[in-house]
Amino acid sequence: MKRRDFIKLSTSVAGAVATIYLPGGWRAAKAAGKWRVGFSQCTTLEPWRVQFNKDIQAEAKNHPDVDLVITDGQDKTEKQVADCENLVVQQVNVLLISPKESAGLTGVVEKAIDAKIPVIVLDRNVDTKRITQFIGGDNVAIGKAAGEHAVKLLGGPGKAAGNVVEIWGGMGTQPAHDRHDGFHAFTDKEGGIKNLLNNQSGDWKQDKAYNIMTTALRNNEKIDLVYGHNDPMAYGAYLAAKDAGRDKDIKFIIGIDGLPDEGVTWVNNGQLTATFLYATPGAEGLRQAVKLLKGEKLEPVITLPTMLITKENAPDILKKNGLL
Amino acid sequence: MKAFRLLSRTKLYWGLVIICLIGALTSPMTSSGKNIFLSYGNLTDVLRQVSITGLVATGMTMVILLGGIDLSVGSVMGFATVICAMLLTKPGWTAASVMGVPAAVAVSGAAVALLARFILRGLARGRDVSAGRRADIVLSPLRGVWMPALLGLIAAVAVAWFTVSQVQVKFGVLGVLLVTPCLALLLGAINGLLVVSGRLQPFIVTLAMMVSALGIARLTAGQDNAVVPVYTGSNATAAFEFLRSMLWGVLPVPSVFFLVAIVLFGAILRFTTFGRYAYAIGGNVEAAKLSGIKVGQVQFTAYLLSGLLAGIAGVLFVAQYRQGKPDAGTGLELDAIAAVVIGGTSLMGGRGGLAGTFVGVLIFGLLSDILQLQNIDSNVQLLMKGLIIVGTVLVQEQTVGHLIARWRFSRSHGLPADPKSADPDRLPSATKARFAREDLDEAS
Repeated sequence: MKRRDFIKLSTSVAGAVATIYLPGGWRAAKAAGKWRVGFSQCTTLEPWRVQFNKDIQAEAKNHPDVDLVITDGQDKTEKQVADCENLVVQQVNVLLISPKESAGLTGVVEKAIDAKIPVIVLDRNVDTKRITQFIGGDNVAIGKAAGEHAVKLLGGPGKAAGNVVEIWGGMGTQPAHDRHDGFHAFTDKEGGIKNLLNNQSGDWKQDKAYNIMTTALRNNEKIDLVYGHNDPMAYGAYLAAKDAGRDKDIKFIIGIDGLPDEGVTWVNNGQLTATFLYATPGAEGLRQAVKLLKGEKLEPVITLPTMLITKENAPDILKKNGLL
Repeated sequence: MKAFRLLSRTKLYWGLVIICLIGALTSPMTSSGKNIFLSYGNLTDVLRQVSITGLVATGMTMVILLGGIDLSVGSVMGFATVICAMLLTKPGWTAASVMGVPAAVAVSGAAVALLARFILRGLARGRDVSAGRRADIVLSPLRGVWMPALLGLIAAVAVAWFTVSQVQVKFGVLGVLLVTPCLALLLGAINGLLVVSGRLQPFIVTLAMMVSALGIARLTAGQDNAVVPVYTGSNATAAFEFLRSMLWGVLPVPSVFFLVAIVLFGAILRFTTFGRYAYAIGGNVEAAKLSGIKVGQVQFTAYLLSGLLAGIAGVLFVAQYRQGKPDAGTGLELDAIAAVVIGGTSLMGGRGGLAGTFVGVLIFGLLSDILQLQNIDSNVQLLMKGLIIVGTVLVQEQTVGHLIARWRFSRSHGLPADPKSADPDRLPSATKARFAREDLDEAS
């Protein structure tokens, strides 16, 4: 094919596709609501973030006077900064932001505040005191709850004994360190608990945790408890044990996050022993934004509580989410 | 000197041997005193773990041999995992089956037609001994057009019937193994078309594909699904577990795919005209063009195959990790490139081969396994991997014999030998040592 022909052909194909599909996807911005709330999400590639967006959208349905605009930062700081600038230019009434990282997003948050837009920060905080409110879970507290539960499972305080495999989230992320520190605040007090792995990171991913667990199983004949910094990694470890034919030997597998279609389902199936809810601040964030718009004053910090999910309460949660 | 030459000829394998030795010597023991690293279970674990990267690296080797690069393999694999997981778990006409079925029909039709034409031409060449290997065979319209077209049509209809029947229920193992790689192959074909006909830089084309394949994968999965879980036996067919089982209790199935790909494509590169052309093009595109090689066709095929192998890798990923997700292959392209380069294939093209890639992939896999068995901090593991890449490539490029030859040369002539002056690709009458080196590279 000649280059010119090729360019002609590809342009016409692209043109045809554009004429067919663009009108379908193109919707005029509706201006039905009284208020516009902008929400800058840092990524939608993780299930937890997807649930986050689902929660905030579900809550938005309860407030017909609010128009919710959601942007996706695609896991890049610069994209999220651009998203926020865009929302500021659109003059939203409240800006909700769940920053990818603290330092990189602080500047644009201050810019929004300078433009007289109140900012509510969700999940991860930014380095400024001028924000209206911060809503997030407390990863250290969740880690502590997991550690306390692990000690209980392994024999109770003072008597707990067993070999523990801990699979880290990303080494460069604060939640992983918090979940680690909280957990060890309890387990390190127990002389009988032996930590088998030395900072092994599964990068929050099921497949990497699977491979770490495969080798850990080769290396250790007795593993009593697996603690994954999130549910997919705990589940990946379970799968590795199952494939090695040793899922019955490992007594307890604990995860964190408690998403209905992941952790809770796996707990309900008996694949994980327990998971701890790391609630998304989506619904709460929008509720607080509406409160603010109605003229109420907000508390500076709201910490979302965690919840232990075991086989007892898993079915209820699944029913509530229409999964059972 | 002979010993040195032998040493440098086989240096690639020595790296592997050294890694194995280190692994065996440092390995922890089980309570019964068995060496864990050398246990059959551990070694097959390694083989299974490297299969996905290995398949992708196989395709990557061919592209790199041609002097190109394929950055899109990771995203294409991610896309393939989404397609595969959706086909397995969702019956009816979903985004995955709407894209997949026509792709499978078109690709299999075209593949059978081309294959038939190739065989008919081969038969004609065999009948006409005087034509020789080089001469162009002119086929009659019946043999050249109609018979292949008819066979292709039959294949297309058969595949259409099969896949459409699978759409109603959920797809089975054969269905996903057919449809997913076909779709990935089409993405590879777009890469190839843009590189060859669009005359664009492979780096940019495949970078664009890397970004857009991620986008397509996410659109296919839908905004509400960051992950498509596959629970064999409950939401997908239990037969799919075959793809992660041990074949006759000897080899993990994923590694069978990897080994077959290495042997098959290794043979193609070594024994067929296609393979010889690939080396010629990688060595010097202009010279290859001038000597009548259809450079475009060969390049196009390489990108196509790279996509295909990424697609198969995607199916194996779903089988192993029970999920399809758009970002499954993040960073995979870099792992694959690293394995190819460790294996001694030159990023400039024209030098290297699949045996090297096989060793490179194994070195990587064994290294991770050793570090993991030693229970070394994840951060230190990253550092060590970087060091190993640089170290191996240094040994690859500056061969032991080469260093010694340079030292001897400069001592006897008082001149520094310039390793760049006699590039075997551009200088037909290279020195004897150079020939030895070329032989080595072809053998590897």
